[in-house]
Amino acid sequence: MHVIEVNNLTKTYGSARGITNLSFQVEQGEIFGFIGPNGAGKSTTIRTLLGLIYPTSGNAKIFGKDCIQYGPEIKKEIGYLPSEVFYYDNMKVKDLLQYSASFYKKDCRKRIAELAGIMDLDLNKKIDDLSLGNKKKVGIVQGLLHEPKLIILDEPTSGLDPLMQQRFFDLLEAENKRGATILFSSHILSEVQRLCDRVAIIKEGKLIQLEKISTLQENNYKRFKLETKAPVSPDYFQLNGVNELKVEGTTVSFLYRGNVNAMMSKIAAIDLANILVEEPDLEEIFMHYYEKED
Amino acid sequence: MNMVLHELKAYRKSTILWTCALVAMVVLLLSMFPTFARDADQFKSLLQTMPEAVLKAVGVQIETITSILGFYAYVFMYISLCGAIQAMNLGTSILSKELREKTADFLLTKPVTRTQIVTSKLLAALISLLITNVIYLAASTIMVLAVKNGDFEISKLMMISVTLFFIQLIFMALGFFVSVLVLKIKSVLPISLGTVFAFFIIGMLGATTGDGAIRYFTPFKYFDPAYIMQHASYEGPFLWLGLGIVMAAIVISYVVYRKRDIHAV
Repeated sequence: MHVIEVNNLTKTYGSARGITNLSFQVEQGEIFGFIGPNGAGKSTTIRTLLGLIYPTSGNAKIFGKDCIQYGPEIKKEIGYLPSEVFYYDNMKVKDLLQYSASFYKKDCRKRIAELAGIMDLDLNKKIDDLSLGNKKKVGIVQGLLHEPKLIILDEPTSGLDPLMQQRFFDLLEAENKRGATILFSSHILSEVQRLCDRVAIIKEGKLIQLEKISTLQENNYKRFKLETKAPVSPDYFQLNGVNELKVEGTTVSFLYRGNVNAMMSKIAAIDLANILVEEPDLEEIFMHYYEKED
Repeated sequence: MNMVLHELKAYRKSTILWTCALVAMVVLLLSMFPTFARDADQFKSLLQTMPEAVLKAVGVQIETITSILGFYAYVFMYISLCGAIQAMNLGTSILSKELREKTADFLLTKPVTRTQIVTSKLLAALISLLITNVIYLAASTIMVLAVKNGDFEISKLMMISVTLFFIQLIFMALGFFVSVLVLKIKSVLPISLGTVFAFFIIGMLGATTGDGAIRYFTPFKYFDPAYIMQHASYEGPFLWLGLGIVMAAIVISYVVYRKRDIHAV
């Protein structure tokens, strides 16, 4: 059974673009990445799934049921973590979590204590007094306390320090092992790569690519930026796997896919002032998808 | 039920404050009555020197103002103004608060229908107003009994006091309606104060010009204390009109809110 099934979903805001004819399925038990630049339509899709906004056309089903018609019923089994967390300021963390738990007809006290322990969250503080990262933790506990079958995360890691991010990912993996399906929206490729089985890439409201992470990783591009002490000839880096080569005097930049050792020994042979090797950002990855389509 | 309790808690402070304000107002104003009644004739002749339009606008009726009920009716005009502001604030905040504090996502992703959310919030607001009115009713009655200078019909006093609740209901419903129609309310107070004072001024103008039709346009004039004192009943058409406004505002609010897109902020 598909846990999420999106069929030709379209949402327009007046004349502005939302999402256009989006279709994809999320299978039971998978961690599904949903990536795209800001404004691509990730949040619009998620908000439609949650019944916060209504589709212009098309539909979406969760657990096989229409997400608008059966909204309240399916939300019993959904945990949601919004990208920006704002909660009733004058409440204590404990009270907010209990309020959240009171919507689900089960005893969540034990789970709240467990999750707060894992995320290192002080339950007796006022939400007002929390930092952004700690508010995010409240959001995480709030989204997971009822042991949902489907966890929907909208850019969940902003504001978390690396240690907490790691614990959060461990937590998600544990939830996933327990049987939870996870929809993980992000614009950071590396977190998606680390966690997800499959990934949908969305841009300008349209689905560009739906791939297994393993396939994506084969296309593992690195962006190289070099500053050399003496000008180099553009031909020097003209080898297999190099893309978008730009040479301007002593600065060289290109995208590379292939054996890193070969490239490193090539670079080692020249006199460097500076070097930067980084993951290409999403825009660049998208550029490749466009190129492939052409 | 959890939502009702949560909302009640959220409004607790403001309900207590407004109730105290109303009680303080009625105590203060009524405590002036004994002095006023002692020199009743002097006051009457003083009032007679003032232009009639002014007297009407501020709600003074010379024939009755020296009786305790007449004085209370005069004072009540300002009590109802205060009460209307409370109710309108409450009504306007109910839903706009969620968007302003960006907590709408929290509530709407819980396994509840939007109808349940709106109903809980309305119920909480209604309970808050009821609490205010019960306390006000007790305080005003005790105060009137304490300062009275002669006999009066206590049922008429009650009938006048209860119109505070009617007026509050109308303004709460109006506020609710506004909060659903206006997408994003940055600050509640200007809207509620503006609306309430606009209606209050319409009422003053209507009283000055003596134009009967204007009464239909301001809830402040739906329940005329003078009429209640004379007939010991409310005016049917206005009672129905008030009820109609409340029902219409609430029904439309439900319909609109159910269909509304809740955008990320």
